[in-house]
Amino acid sequence: MGNWYKSGSPWIWLTSGAVSISLIAVLGLLGLIAWRGLTFFWPSQIWQFEVYNPDGSQQRVIGEIYERDMISALQLRESGVKVAAGVEEVESLLIKTGNREFVELDFRWLLTSNIISQTTPLDLAVFERSKNGNFYGHIDSVIIDGVTFEGSQDEAREQLATALARVEDLAEQADDLQQGDIGGINYQLERLRLRQRRAELDQGLTPELMTEFRNEKRQLSQEYQVFEQQLFKLRAQMIRDRVVVRDMRNVAVNIEVADLLSVHYPNVMNVFDKTIYWLGAIAGFVSDDPREANTEGGVFPAIFGTIFMVMLMAVIVTPFGVIAAIYLHEYAKKGPITKFVRIAVINLAGVPSVVYGVFGLGFFVYVLGGSIDSLFYPESSPAPVFGTPGVLWSALTLAILTLPVVIVSTEEGLSRIPISLRQGSLALGATKAETLWKIIIPMASPAIMTGLILAVARAAGEVAPLMLVGVVKMAPTLPLDGNFPFFHVDRKFMHLGFHIYDVGFQSPNVEAARPLVFATSFLLVTVIISLNISAIGIRNHLREKYRSLEG
Amino acid sequence: MINFDSINKAKPDLDLANLSQEDRAFTINNLDLYYGDKQALHNVCMAIPKGQVTAFIGPSGCGKSTLLRCLNRMNDLVDICRVEGEILLDQQDIYHKSVDVATLRRHVGMVFQRPNPFPKSIYENVVYGLRLQGVKDRRALDEAVETSLKGAALWEEVKDRLHDNAFGLSGGQQQRLVIARAIAIEPAVLLLDEPTSALDPISTLVIEELITELKNKFTVVIVTHNMQQAARVSDNTAFMYMGELIEYSDTNTLFTTPAKKQTEDYITGRYG
Repeated sequence: MGNWYKSGSPWIWLTSGAVSISLIAVLGLLGLIAWRGLTFFWPSQIWQFEVYNPDGSQQRVIGEIYERDMISALQLRESGVKVAAGVEEVESLLIKTGNREFVELDFRWLLTSNIISQTTPLDLAVFERSKNGNFYGHIDSVIIDGVTFEGSQDEAREQLATALARVEDLAEQADDLQQGDIGGINYQLERLRLRQRRAELDQGLTPELMTEFRNEKRQLSQEYQVFEQQLFKLRAQMIRDRVVVRDMRNVAVNIEVADLLSVHYPNVMNVFDKTIYWLGAIAGFVSDDPREANTEGGVFPAIFGTIFMVMLMAVIVTPFGVIAAIYLHEYAKKGPITKFVRIAVINLAGVPSVVYGVFGLGFFVYVLGGSIDSLFYPESSPAPVFGTPGVLWSALTLAILTLPVVIVSTEEGLSRIPISLRQGSLALGATKAETLWKIIIPMASPAIMTGLILAVARAAGEVAPLMLVGVVKMAPTLPLDGNFPFFHVDRKFMHLGFHIYDVGFQSPNVEAARPLVFATSFLLVTVIISLNISAIGIRNHLREKYRSLEG
Repeated sequence: MINFDSINKAKPDLDLANLSQEDRAFTINNLDLYYGDKQALHNVCMAIPKGQVTAFIGPSGCGKSTLLRCLNRMNDLVDICRVEGEILLDQQDIYHKSVDVATLRRHVGMVFQRPNPFPKSIYENVVYGLRLQGVKDRRALDEAVETSLKGAALWEEVKDRLHDNAFGLSGGQQQRLVIARAIAIEPAVLLLDEPTSALDPISTLVIEELITELKNKFTVVIVTHNMQQAARVSDNTAFMYMGELIEYSDTNTLFTTPAKKQTEDYITGRYG
């Protein structure tokens, strides 16, 4: 035993054990998030239950099984539920029943002891709707352009699919029209109003200018009306078809095809169909806009906002951090003041992030943004342009938050460059600045990239400061669009981290949102990892190029 | 302004004690150098002739490298270093405040103990100094690369891989590349700070041959640990000990009939 201890083996076991535990923790975390998040999109079976109500009557329940739980019989007896003697635990199922407008809650718990029978009828359909969530039921008939179509299930489904494809096509056209042309005209109208207001403030609103503005406005309004007519026409075409569905109360319900996003029949799908559906659902989640207070639809604006904000931050923090590090390391005299500054910079990294948020709100938004507004945008007063939280202020706040990381790693990189290279350059008649530009900074670039990687990793995960300086639950427009000047850094934006918080805690239906929390978390991790991997790729390329440090 | 062009005109058989102004590259007068409180050079006085190879020898820590680094003001990089006295180049003090250090170093090139190529291609290493001077003409650069690499006896070995990374070269090749880099900007004086101490015997031999070639074009000042090397390559030798210049004469005299006991002890290997 003593020899074994002396041999150092226990030490190896201890250290390798620590590594294994960390590895298991990380992989377990990723695995759990990925599993819970990704299985959410898998089309589960739709069950039809016949159950006893507490009063002894019978009822039909249709829905997906969301969760299973064991409830102790004791607890049930205490709350007045009859449970057979000798039973200690009763299984309970959480069923998503959908049909939100007809039932009180679209989720309900069923005790297995109350279930008389459960089946998976093949004709059960899931209707994904743009409003009120999912609808579950049997297709009764399809009404195309007022003509009721009654045929076999298969034919009805085909009819419905054609009608759905037509509506999708129309909806896409309407969307293009609204986002593109009508959005563009609205933007121009707003700019026209601001120009007029500006001229008014400058006392330069001459009668000629007035007429010009009026003419321009009239022209834009005319164009607007044309597009609006087109839009109305499209919308009118969309509401042609309907589908009649028998729900679990055995009531026939009319559903507009225009309100449908998709229909699928999970009980007749095989694994292949389900995989295709699953991939489609994930693609939709990544590329669609959110609906229903973020509990349905996709998270595209949040992904876009996260990446846009992080990139903007990187663009701001890198030059600042690198320049500051160069001054501290190359030019500042070594003395107590430099030492103090360096310690202060390092300590900045320890300040809680929400404090930066408060600073950002107080300084960037109110002071800086407010001054910019009063200097350059007097015409839009009282509505603020930059004097309100926005993506620029968020990026700046996070840039300050991550500045210490960039400074510290750049300084480390600078100090690792062999003095002989500096001397070599100086001995050839280079000035200090030339040596910096041509030798030192290129050679320190891998270290700068390391700083940037750490900064991006930190910034992409921050939520607290953003809630004060620019993130919102629902942003109507992206910070990048087709209207001049294309980058709208004054706009508010959506963020995956905040989206998780919002969906998980602020949503009207927490049960429904839970899988979305996992899915969004998984996506956030994926986004951060891919940002990091691309940065690490660049760094490795640079390292390869300036290999001398090891050589 | 210092007239750098007048410096590298070779003159054989000079009398070091009575060197005329025209024959002097550097004139060092009463040079004292301090690192903080510690004095590293004591009242050094010497004249370094043009167009010849002058060697500084002496035991470790005797101040020979420090003295060499004064000649292109490399010691400026050391914060606590302080210099008193004067070093004249073309009769002007290089420590005078009107002298631009970058210009001085451009004309007084230096090669260090360990090869220090830049993390660039062989080609870019050689043209580094020229690019600093704003030379952009492709043909002029190509020409300079060929001449300098030939001058450093490296051309034949690297002419087919000029655009490969310089770190792919061996230590001896790297040191010759660094010499090529230094002579590409055509300095008047070349300072060599123990240029072969990190190299194998064969590379050392190549570099020594190179040094004898170089003196036809440049004034060379070399610091070396190796007395045989000093005897082989130099015209004049200065022996230093404890920051003082003990003896300075032409190489033959110094090695055969040294005037001072200390010199004799050192070259016969009794200390150092």
